[in-house]
Amino acid sequence: MKRNVAIIGGGQTYHASRRQDVNQVEMVNEAVRVALADAQMSMADIDTVMVGNMEFFEGTYMTDCWLVDGIGAYGKPGLKITTGGTVGATIVCAGAHHVASGLFDHVLCIGFEKQEEGDTGAILSGVAHPLFGRSMAGAAVGYFAMMGSSYMANYGAKEEHSAMVAVKARQNARKNEYAHLRLDITIEDVLNSKMLAYPIRLMDMCPTSNGACAVILADEKTARDRCKKPVWIRAMDTAHNEQFELDWRDVTTKRPIFSKVCAERIYKRLGVTDPAAYFDVFEVYEPATWAEILWYEDLGLCGPGEGFKLVEKGTTLIDGPIPVNPSGGVLSTNCIGASAMLRVWEAALQIRGEAGEHQVPKEVKRALTTAYGGTNWTVMTALSAGLDD
Amino acid sequence: MSERVAIVGVAQTRFVPKRSDASPAELAYEAIEQVLRETGLEIERDISNTVSCSHDIWDGQTISDIGITDVAGGHLRSEEKMAMDGSTAVFYGVVGILSGEYECTLVLAHTKMSQTNRNIVNNTAFDPIYTRLLGFDYTSAAALQARRYMYKYGITPEQTAGVAVKNLENAIRNPNAHNKGRFSVEEVLASQLVADPIRQMEIAPDTDGAVALILASEDKARRITDTPVWVKGLGVCYDAHYLGDRDLSDCMALEKAAQQAYRMAGIVNPRNDVDIIELGEEFSYQELLWLEGLGVCERGEAGKLLERGVTALGGDLPVNPSGGLLSGVPANVMGLNRAAEAALQLMGKAGDRQVPGVMTAIVQGHSGFCGQHQCVLVLGK
Amino acid sequence: MPRDEKAKEGMNIPITVEVPYRFAAGKYLSRFLVELRDNGDFYGIRCPVCGRVQVPPRIVCAVCHVKNGEWVKLGKEGALKAFTTMHIPLTDPTTGKPHEPPFAYGNVNLDGSDSGIDHLINPDVDPATIKVGMRFRVKLRPKEERIGDLSDILYFDPIDAKA
Repeated sequence: MKRNVAIIGGGQTYHASRRQDVNQVEMVNEAVRVALADAQMSMADIDTVMVGNMEFFEGTYMTDCWLVDGIGAYGKPGLKITTGGTVGATIVCAGAHHVASGLFDHVLCIGFEKQEEGDTGAILSGVAHPLFGRSMAGAAVGYFAMMGSSYMANYGAKEEHSAMVAVKARQNARKNEYAHLRLDITIEDVLNSKMLAYPIRLMDMCPTSNGACAVILADEKTARDRCKKPVWIRAMDTAHNEQFELDWRDVTTKRPIFSKVCAERIYKRLGVTDPAAYFDVFEVYEPATWAEILWYEDLGLCGPGEGFKLVEKGTTLIDGPIPVNPSGGVLSTNCIGASAMLRVWEAALQIRGEAGEHQVPKEVKRALTTAYGGTNWTVMTALSAGLDD
Repeated sequence: MSERVAIVGVAQTRFVPKRSDASPAELAYEAIEQVLRETGLEIERDISNTVSCSHDIWDGQTISDIGITDVAGGHLRSEEKMAMDGSTAVFYGVVGILSGEYECTLVLAHTKMSQTNRNIVNNTAFDPIYTRLLGFDYTSAAALQARRYMYKYGITPEQTAGVAVKNLENAIRNPNAHNKGRFSVEEVLASQLVADPIRQMEIAPDTDGAVALILASEDKARRITDTPVWVKGLGVCYDAHYLGDRDLSDCMALEKAAQQAYRMAGIVNPRNDVDIIELGEEFSYQELLWLEGLGVCERGEAGKLLERGVTALGGDLPVNPSGGLLSGVPANVMGLNRAAEAALQLMGKAGDRQVPGVMTAIVQGHSGFCGQHQCVLVLGK
Repeated sequence: MPRDEKAKEGMNIPITVEVPYRFAAGKYLSRFLVELRDNGDFYGIRCPVCGRVQVPPRIVCAVCHVKNGEWVKLGKEGALKAFTTMHIPLTDPTTGKPHEPPFAYGNVNLDGSDSGIDHLINPDVDPATIKVGMRFRVKLRPKEERIGDLSDILYFDPIDAKA
């Protein structure tokens, strides 16, 4: 990028299954206010506003236009990008492009979803082609269930391994005051929860949450002048995937797939050979437990078929050598339009040392985040504490 | 701007009321395949990323860019969907290249209005709490704006109808257009009253189609084409949302977006510094309103500009030599088509609708009802 | 707003957004669906560069960015790549009725195809007997009931399995 870009502030709402006390405008505004306060700025300092949202979800066409008051975009430049589950991270990338271009110095990026205001299941089945597959409507659950059954059949993992991931996520979430599902659960609780689609149980899946996240990006001069702990965006990469070939659920696939391709590219840009050593913390987008296990492998934290062993050994616990999702991840909070941005913001908090109780107990200089959405799409961002890191 | 970005190629499908033979991907590919062929570029070798433009609710597809990922070169690559008017997709594409992240960007917009119902789709743009249940759509909202504009500035129905007459006649020379012909002001004013004061012939008709264009950084642009069209200025801006929060005859967002674009491009007097304008007249009165917001004339004067023939094809400052949106351009595609048409004029490739000696053009597009979000681009040789 | 403040619930406006659509299948999918409806046959399309046979047929190979070429007639049997047993009823949008749980559905590559088709597995089959890698045969509706939609497939039937 032509100019360096830093996250100089951000914030999120308290994510919840019901936010009947606010409408969408008001909910987004909460995140915006917290972010501005965190950056010690007012809307007058903001040059442009970008919004990301899964547009179909709340049944409003041109959501950003309605939200204009809540996002502070009145009389300002701005735009809206919608790419589904990855949109939160895509908006961060878009914001970074705006700053790097030299045309804007301070960019406000917002992701949100008022999940309860739409029929999530019905809309998710709309991801499938209307004439080829939509009637099957296995939706997200069926997809990750197939992933789980393929993984277990090929690598000998057990349902307990999925439960371990589910427990880690919610126990981490208990240390995160903003998370939605802050549950004191055990492996047994998970294995006793309702079976949705074999082998996915209720507790193996993410919730639907209402919430918003906002981050403020700035140029280097602003970051150095006004921010005590800027978090630098060092690299970003996006990989989408064609509509019909959903390879992530077939662990034996030999085709290059979105997750591995994107990781390889971003590692190449940064000169990473050992990601587990290079990055101090990971925030991955895991709509289901098995997805997290596959992320370990696709990010190169372990070899193929070994992801479940990392879970078994506790390697990815909050105080483990490779902490993954100390925030509780998407399994604990899923306001889809915000979820990918929350990965970035949570990683930034870790680098700032400001994640409170869910701060990983080691120095965090570099973090990697992933997003997930669409038909196997991802956006990865690499963040660091200093430009020399 | 020190580094420059250029439009190096454009392609458009024919715009027709209904393409029942093609899925969105097949439709989009017609334009993509053509622009790649004409520029000699290949997706993997040359194109860094794609910026697409479409809407879930128009396509009936959650995450509508899923439907075009394969044809748009999105597989395992970067493709972002700008869910606003296609002019903003150009804006964002340019920003991406200026950021240094990308070198060459494919910009695509598609919509098949024939597959759904525009009144229902547009109704969902209204907030669910106050306004949606009143049954608004873009046309009825535009009617309020038209009425306010005509009241405040004395614009007449003959003047708004005159826009339709001019543009539909211009469209005769545009082989892509489907709504064209020589009509009189009386005929336009005799067409069905849809939402007072807006008549059927003053409304951009339902259309299916796609536009693709390619942006490139200066270095790369010069290797691709002899006729790069430089993006010299760009600006976007939001206005208020609720109709009652605005004086609908004001153009705050357009003025601000234009100011940003003009400042970058060094445009001081748009009336004189610019050779043509391709703008988004989804309803005929909007051509007059946007001309005033673009600073081409004083408030309330655009109707007279039209009457004096200034904005005619052979006039001083032709506006919508393509036939504009009234000639039939799909939603979302609108602003990208404006940019494509202006680019063709600057490349000297506008065929029978070519205006001689075009050096600088203004492109304008808008998103949201009553032009709540505005985008202005200045293109030049 | 901090979590402990008791949220006062406001008004709720129930709205159903109902948007009608007519989806054009387009040239490629139309042929697939017509062959299925009229002849009970399955077709994929081959990429001239990488050679993979794609189902459903589509205009461009997303990997090679070239127009797909040759139409390939597929077999009516294939191996199961992945499957699950659904325990929650999911509504079939084409009928408005739920598929009653538990029901198994899986992804099968018909012989000759590199892409899989998702569909129900014969509901009379005990899900516990289903394994990845098993071979299945497509069971179609009788010709007079077929409409040119994936629902013209009733289910995948295990070959050599006891019903």
